[in-house]
Amino acid sequence: MKYLYVGGLGPAADREALARIRERVAAEFPAPVREIELPDVEFAYDVGRRQHKSIEVLEMLARQSPPDAHKLLAVTERDLFIPVLTFVFGQAQLNGRVAVVSLARLRQEFYGLPENREVFLERVEKEALHETGHTYGLVHCADGSCAMSLATNVRQIDRKRAAFCAACEGHLRRGAERGLRE
Amino acid sequence: MKTHWHILVVDDEEVMCESLAAWLREDGYSVDTASSGRAAVDKATGRDYAIYFVDLKMPGGLDGIETMMQIRRLHPDASIIIITAYATVDTAITAIKEGAQEYIVKPCNPEEISLLVSRIIKVKNLQRENTILRKKLQRQYCVQDVISKNPRMHELLKLCDEVSSLRSTVLIQGESGTGKEMIARAIHNAGDRASKPFVAVSCAALAETLLESELFGYEKGAFTGASQQKAGKFEMADGGTIFLDEIGDISPKLQVDLLRVLQDRSFYRVGGGQEVRVDVRVIAATHVNLQEAVGEGKFRDDLFYRLNVIEIRLPPLRERREDVPLLAQHFLERLAHELGKDVREISEDALKLLMDHDWPGNVRELENAVERAMVTSRGKTLGPEDFAFLAQNGASTKAPRFPVGVSLQEMEKQLITVTLDRTEGNIKEAASVLGIDRSTLYEKIKKYEIPRG
Repeated sequence: MKYLYVGGLGPAADREALARIRERVAAEFPAPVREIELPDVEFAYDVGRRQHKSIEVLEMLARQSPPDAHKLLAVTERDLFIPVLTFVFGQAQLNGRVAVVSLARLRQEFYGLPENREVFLERVEKEALHETGHTYGLVHCADGSCAMSLATNVRQIDRKRAAFCAACEGHLRRGAERGLRE
Repeated sequence: MKTHWHILVVDDEEVMCESLAAWLREDGYSVDTASSGRAAVDKATGRDYAIYFVDLKMPGGLDGIETMMQIRRLHPDASIIIITAYATVDTAITAIKEGAQEYIVKPCNPEEISLLVSRIIKVKNLQRENTILRKKLQRQYCVQDVISKNPRMHELLKLCDEVSSLRSTVLIQGESGTGKEMIARAIHNAGDRASKPFVAVSCAALAETLLESELFGYEKGAFTGASQQKAGKFEMADGGTIFLDEIGDISPKLQVDLLRVLQDRSFYRVGGGQEVRVDVRVIAATHVNLQEAVGEGKFRDDLFYRLNVIEIRLPPLRERREDVPLLAQHFLERLAHELGKDVREISEDALKLLMDHDWPGNVRELENAVERAMVTSRGKTLGPEDFAFLAQNGASTKAPRFPVGVSLQEMEKQLITVTLDRTEGNIKEAASVLGIDRSTLYEKIKKYEIPRG
């Protein structure tokens, strides 16, 4: 049996967010979900940019991935980046095994607004589906309400639903069945 | 789908290259990477990418600007985005001057890069759509597009298809307006020359000397005004097809020149001593009976036999009356779209009237009649009253207003002169009013020596 592992990177990851993610991915993806404890990502810190390198995080996850992991989704409080971009909400290996979601820019407080737990948790669910979707080979969807549509700011995340459109859903099922058989 | 768009990311830093490539792949693009300017140029030699992301600073070998210049030499319309870590106005200006579409300063906001890519791809999609539409437009005359349920026409279309890939000369004979050029284009488009040029020349439209330089081109200094060498229609049609309309009208001298081209596939430009060789298929057309012209000594028999290798005789519309309703409906649908008029059908009475008409101007006259009826009609159905002008035209020819004693030729000359006057010398309009095709009008203008404008 292969599992879809979900875990926080370091003890600081938001427990409630993790619980919502596990629930949501269990409903949307065909693999059984398991919890996992993952190390913190201090090693990926870039002093110059004062952010964490998401590529190094993904590389570490690929190394730490349990043998029975069908997929591994990690969640971090750290702000992530890739060299060419100012930030990323998350990153995944397209058609691969591991993905990471950063919670840092999903909170209203990041933008100087009052805390709103429900808005935050909804964004977390959508981004978790989005990055995990990439590991199943899904690319960005032109349907702005689909979880797989590209979001480069939180307004775009808020416009999405925490679900896939019919086309992505179909692609996902076919891909997942193939993946679980392998 | 975006996967058919390929993007090349060029950066000597692997992590930079791979991370941008991964991000673009998540967006659905097919992405290649190159770790040096040289490698990028090699990749661009193999294929043209929709977008090139090129890092400005690359040590050793080609830097970003040099790489961009070499890529643009291979693909002048390449969309290149320069990536720079230093936001200096100088580098930005240099990049844009040398042809970069945009430049981005890294690290770049994801929203900015996403908008940039989607904007370029949108233009690429439009360009691709334009190319497809152009192709469709060029191929609009296909054998399958000819509208007819007449068995003689079907035999004829079968023959067109069979001879389309041969190089043999085709002679299309038929009255004005029977669609000789359309058939010539259909033959060209059905054969293996379809991707090559189809060049049409109206032999009736030009004087002998003009036609000669038009067909064969001329050398610099061949005559006053020949300031530089010019290729003729035969050279333009190299690899493809030349359509010589109204071939019956060419002078004896041109008949000899044409005979040589057909025999040797070579000719001399006007004023030139160097032989020009071409691979051209000749399709000729005429509305006069060439065999009779040969009998009367007006047309060389050797040229006639060279031209008449494959003979296609297009029947006049009055000999395929069953096609009139089909053609009328086809023109109605096309013109409704073009004229933006909500006219949907032709009444049975009107169709009967159209089928009874003799159509001396054949399909072209029918098309003009439908257009005229549609322009003036106010309803959604064209009735017999909308085609009343057909009967009036007939009546006016039955009751000429010219005094008895004037010759028929004089009447024709005067009518053409007056019509040209009305249309301010516009040949197309005058030919349409007179119900004849342009080549016939040119022929008559030449014959009666009518001054134009």
